[in-house]
Amino acid sequence: MYSIELKVNGRPYSVMVDLKTTLLEVLRDKLFITSPKVGCNTGDCGACSVLLDGRLVRSCITNALTAAGREVTTVEGLARPGEIHPLQRAFHEHYAAQCGFCTPGMILAAKALLDENPEPTRDQVREALSGNLCRCTGYVKIVDAVMAAAQEMAGAGALKAGRG
Amino acid sequence: MAEGGFYTAASPAEACALLARHGDGARLLAGGTDLMVAVNERRFAPQVLIYLGACGLNYIRVEGGKLLIGAATPFAEILKSDLVRDQAPLLAEAVAHLASPAIRNAGTVGGNLANASPAADSATALLALGASLKLTSPAGQRVAALEDFFTGPGQSVLKAGELIEEVIVPAQAQGAGWAYRKLGKRKAQSLSVVSVAVYCPLADGKCRGARLALGAVAPTPLLARKAAALLEGQKLEAGLIDRAAKAAAEETRPIDDVRGSAWYRRRAAEGLVRQLLGQIAGQ
Repeated sequence: MYSIELKVNGRPYSVMVDLKTTLLEVLRDKLFITSPKVGCNTGDCGACSVLLDGRLVRSCITNALTAAGREVTTVEGLARPGEIHPLQRAFHEHYAAQCGFCTPGMILAAKALLDENPEPTRDQVREALSGNLCRCTGYVKIVDAVMAAAQEMAGAGALKAGRG
Repeated sequence: MAEGGFYTAASPAEACALLARHGDGARLLAGGTDLMVAVNERRFAPQVLIYLGACGLNYIRVEGGKLLIGAATPFAEILKSDLVRDQAPLLAEAVAHLASPAIRNAGTVGGNLANASPAADSATALLALGASLKLTSPAGQRVAALEDFFTGPGQSVLKAGELIEEVIVPAQAQGAGWAYRKLGKRKAQSLSVVSVAVYCPLADGKCRGARLALGAVAPTPLLARKAAALLEGQKLEAGLIDRAAKAAAEETRPIDDVRGSAWYRRRAAEGLVRQLLGQIAGQ
């Protein structure tokens, strides 16, 4: 067993792992952060997606030892307690979640896109979400939600810039 | 058996020294997108892991008309790179259709090649471009042409204690024709059913040293040498394209699996080669 330190949603943690432990197991089974889901466990479905140093990865096939010293973001860390992120609000308002199992991964894939490209086209949104499978919605409402969140966030950015 | 452990190699030399010291139980780990799937499916229980994420093999640069890509460079970096888009647009195109954004952030070009899947998507483009690999072991370095690298499904010429350090890609010639197409079960996040990459330098409208590479239609990524030989010194016209497509299909040795039948794969390979050569002829 190895002791590793990592930051999750801004908080430092120290956990024991072995050579086979995945980042998903650390998050769910050791830290009880349960928004990343165990879907396929082979990197295919995207339900386990998290941000590692700001980049979208599959936590189910990320060896935990390679996450040592790095920073993980899950949906729990997108907004302060009691608040929600514009992406979360847009998913709610646009009915972009049905069963909800894929939703945390979808939101993080969308976050990774908007961090790099704040004004994406619908095609760019579809490309960014292409590795995240949803069995309920047919994807249209998910894309609607990401476009709406992008618009809201761009507006907030312009407001901030105006004030500055 | 040597003691188990996790090592973060600080250099390629250290990684091969560790690999040589720990023998058969040791495996290299980069993005983990193949290896951790095997771990989760209990097909593989690691005893010694040597991590390549901090050993200086994440780079893309151009030297003497060649693109040099560190083996541990994630596909996302290759896709973002202006150098790759300028010097080897065929590779950029193949990488754009490889897996999905999250997998491209982790998976590396060296890992994709070292695992030697017949369906490795970077392999078809790199074979068509005539890439070679710098291999490093405690005994020293050698360069192997990618077309001589694969020996079977999951098998390559890599020796015990040897690793891929760098992928060397000749820059595409000015005005050379190229085309790439992958058939999968869905657009993103799927293994190739068939993929084809064509690189075709032209002089006075005639093919000079064309290379056609096919994925997922043989025990290894396949260079269709007979089809390429038909094109040599010829103008790309419909009759020739048809003969080359049939020749390429003849060279395939596909299997039936969950993604497609051998029958379909051979026909699709022929169709793709015809389509891509037609596309180049029209460029």
